[in-house]
Amino acid sequence: MQVPILKQGPYLIASIQGALTDADLMQLRENLVQAVRRHRSRGVVIDVTVLDVMDSFAARTLRSIATMTRLLGARTVIVGIQPEIAFSMVQLGLTLEDTLTSLDLEDGLAMLKAAERGRDADGPHS
Amino acid sequence: MAAPPTRPPEKFLTIAEMMNISDAEARRRMEMLEFGHDDEARLRAVSDLAERYATDVIDAIYRHLLHFPEMQAFFPTRELLERVKGQQREYFLRLTQGNYDMGYVENRLSIGAIHERINLPMKFYLAMYNFYLREVGNRLMDEYRDDPKQALETLLSLMKLTFFDMELAIDTYIDARERTIRALQQEAIRELSTPVLPFRQGMLLLPIIGQIDSPRARQLTEHLLESIRTNRAKVVVIDITGVATVDSRVANHLVQTIDAARLMGAHVIVSGISPVIALTMVTLGIDLGRVVTVGDMQSGIERAESLLQEAGDEGEGPAEA
Repeated sequence: MQVPILKQGPYLIASIQGALTDADLMQLRENLVQAVRRHRSRGVVIDVTVLDVMDSFAARTLRSIATMTRLLGARTVIVGIQPEIAFSMVQLGLTLEDTLTSLDLEDGLAMLKAAERGRDADGPHS
Repeated sequence: MAAPPTRPPEKFLTIAEMMNISDAEARRRMEMLEFGHDDEARLRAVSDLAERYATDVIDAIYRHLLHFPEMQAFFPTRELLERVKGQQREYFLRLTQGNYDMGYVENRLSIGAIHERINLPMKFYLAMYNFYLREVGNRLMDEYRDDPKQALETLLSLMKLTFFDMELAIDTYIDARERTIRALQQEAIRELSTPVLPFRQGMLLLPIIGQIDSPRARQLTEHLLESIRTNRAKVVVIDITGVATVDSRVANHLVQTIDAARLMGAHVIVSGISPVIALTMVTLGIDLGRVVTVGDMQSGIERAESLLQEAGDEGEGPAEA
């Protein structure tokens, strides 16, 4: 299942619509990285609200997306991890360390803006 | 209900072991009642007599007790009554067969436990023994017509042994009640679910009081993660001032909960870790490195507020611009 990537100002929103195969995830990663380059985006929100499973491949891929986009100058926030998914992920050791996570799309976008402001604010001082 | 893992399952223990009645304890009780070899010999001597009168005595007991409606309720059918009478006969005959060892104790305890389970009131138990002693007393007087002293001695021996039986029966009742009460209490404590309190916009407080066992920890996690979603919480302060000890499983569970909360976009601050728990964590090598910890709940709330402020400043910033 293809994941639509929407452009919202300087940010990209990838809204997952249903269960994804490993190939879909790889495709998503490639599409996102290219889209970040093309649009010179400063942030990415990946919405996983509808996912009712998150296996280790998915978690690893999401983490790698975050790392890759950071190299391209865009922060990635994973939003909408449901309580039961969150807990089972943690039990499997998939803690998505050093990846930003947020409750939902709205909070995720706010977090990206906050991160950027933080960076701007830090800039002159440092 | 999950049993604590450290204790072996109780089904492998005898009733006596479960109730901590050891061989030594049984002997001690016999000593207190001054039940000795003479008593055993006197009881054995009337074994044949007991065989002869047993059925009559039991019939008399039930004739008497079945006058009471609450007793009748235990014997809805004639067959059941006859079966119980048969068992009762064995029970009373055992009194004059000697060998009052652990096998005897176990037998008495198991019968006590059965009576407890069917909720037979203690008053019937005691009334039955009393009736039995009176009936047997009369028969002993008849038997030892020429030696009333022997009759009395035998009756006294029998009395010691029936008191021993009663002790055991009462103990099984008390033990069973205590178990029931403990189980109910555990249930009640578990049901006193840990409140998740929305303290202010985006902040949840989770004061935990009392022992955390694995089922409670699981319930707590579910409750917290759901609450984060419904309240759109950004910061959670978990206060464990009221928790005396944690084991490694619960500590790990707590860490996992905190990680899971982070996956949902909420920061967790743990406050009120007692020195004992701190020591446990260090000893068990539980890594709280990623967890923000502060001394008390006040500092926890302060820290949470400053976190919210940061998020708020930054989050609302662009909207103002």
